[in-house]
Amino acid sequence: MKKSFLKDKSELKRWAGLFFVLPAFIYHFIVVIVPSLKTLYLSFFDWNGIGNPTFVGLDNFVEMFTTDEVLPVALKNTTIWTLWFVTVPIVISIFVAVWVSGVKHSKLQMFYRTTYFLPYVLSAAIAGKIWSNFYNPYYGFTTIFKSMGLDGLADIMWLGDPKIALFSVAFVSNWSWWGFVMVLFISALQQIDPTLYEAASIDGAGRARLFWHVTVPGVSPTIVFIVAMSLMWSILSFDFVWVMTMGGPGQATELLSTWIYKNAFVNYRAGYANAICILQSVIVLAIFFVNQLVRKKVEEAV
Amino acid sequence: MSTVKKRSPILNVLIHAVLIFLAAFQLFPLVVLFINTLRTDVEIKHMPIGLPEHASFLNYAETWVKGSYAVAFRNSIFIGACVIVIVLVGAGLAAYGVARLKIPGRNFFIGYFMLGMSFPAFMYIVPLYYNFSEMGLVNTHASVIIIYAASYIPFSMLLIRTFLVGIPRELEEAGKIDGCSEFGVFLHVTMPLSLPILATVALIVFVWCWNEFLWANTFLTTDDIRTVSTRFYKFVGEWSRDLAKIYTAGMIALGPIIVLYLCLQKTFIEGLTQGGVKG
Repeated sequence: MKKSFLKDKSELKRWAGLFFVLPAFIYHFIVVIVPSLKTLYLSFFDWNGIGNPTFVGLDNFVEMFTTDEVLPVALKNTTIWTLWFVTVPIVISIFVAVWVSGVKHSKLQMFYRTTYFLPYVLSAAIAGKIWSNFYNPYYGFTTIFKSMGLDGLADIMWLGDPKIALFSVAFVSNWSWWGFVMVLFISALQQIDPTLYEAASIDGAGRARLFWHVTVPGVSPTIVFIVAMSLMWSILSFDFVWVMTMGGPGQATELLSTWIYKNAFVNYRAGYANAICILQSVIVLAIFFVNQLVRKKVEEAV
Repeated sequence: MSTVKKRSPILNVLIHAVLIFLAAFQLFPLVVLFINTLRTDVEIKHMPIGLPEHASFLNYAETWVKGSYAVAFRNSIFIGACVIVIVLVGAGLAAYGVARLKIPGRNFFIGYFMLGMSFPAFMYIVPLYYNFSEMGLVNTHASVIIIYAASYIPFSMLLIRTFLVGIPRELEEAGKIDGCSEFGVFLHVTMPLSLPILATVALIVFVWCWNEFLWANTFLTTDDIRTVSTRFYKFVGEWSRDLAKIYTAGMIALGPIIVLYLCLQKTFIEGLTQGGVKG
């Protein structure tokens, strides 16, 4: 069978080309996909990571939605976190991108771009810890607010108050994230055909109408891409929360990721952690595939 | 844009004010961080923002030694270098394969690596940890090198592929006419032509290795093998009472990346954003 398939030289050459792709593919498959399949398999077991796993069927999944009191909190927090990141940074970035592209002086424009993007290239673990110090109620910015007589602000426990801790962390994460989104929008803006603006303004459209009728449709493929990326990224968020609050106080900033981490590496319930991993990954991968479909549709429509 | 109505001057001033405010806001934590490395613990505790009474770089010398940052830097650089080599070889070959050759299953491979780029770390961290622990790989540099290389290959491969698709093939064709083998063309023609994108990939991969926290914090738990970012994390716990040292440690850990970024901002921004969008 194979011989006839490879009968002529060009066919052989075609298959020989696989030698270029296979090393990366096989390597990635062994390190990433094989353990992922193991995660799926082990999610049906009770396992502490070391001993022999005991098969428990769907018990882990049942536990997730019945006796585990933390998981609903983690899901709720992850949802709030995700809602923040599909709205706040995107809205800020799209406006700022329009304004920055309008800056005539090219060096100044470059300065804005560089500055806004800078926190994105820094380690979340390190930057998060530094922000924790700013938030510290004894020697953080509280001291400044007090000296300015702003007692209302000085009394806030930024990371200690369960009602605001999640937003305090999201604020820092947003600081590092939005500049990246803004640069994506700037490149999208540059690809809009300038004649569209001229045509529309000859028709008498003002700036607001130009924004809604030319700019927004022009960057819509980018918006779709960024929303999908933000969804996936925020459902998987870990670093900032872990270094700043470790999910606390109480469970106030517990996310899916931190709860998985605690189960796997603190409570040694690897089997149960795997079940939550499956829940998280199913959501993320579903978004990935939906995005691929939408992207194809959008590209076809453009 | 000449025909578009001009903004009212008041609105224009407002927009500039917002842009300047945002720039200040982005830089503010880093400026405070830097100034506080020149102050003493007492000064910082008294008032977290302020100019140093007697600016001195003494904190740096002390923190560098007490945090054994020399070891951490060596570890991070070693890990980064190894990962760069594996990624460039693997991703370079694969990118050439999908961009230049009519291999069977080409679209499958492109799709696979696109999925690989967004593949959640939590999907494989747990079994990998316990497997590596059985194999004695936990607490070795090899563990994170293997993982980083695998997880950065998809992004790198797609970035190199985008670059290859955008450059003409004439030189490669000429190489083939001169009797070069496919691999010879790859090695002697395509790769030298791709140096700019390979440098971009190397830079981004290095920064990712430097910054990475989740895997490094889980797999490297003894002090002599920690990377810079996890060494800092541990240092903060050990020295929580001395704020001057904590800020200095933060500056030491972030400094190299800030300097790299300021020198090569274009490479950073283009590399990090293109790979994602054009895939």
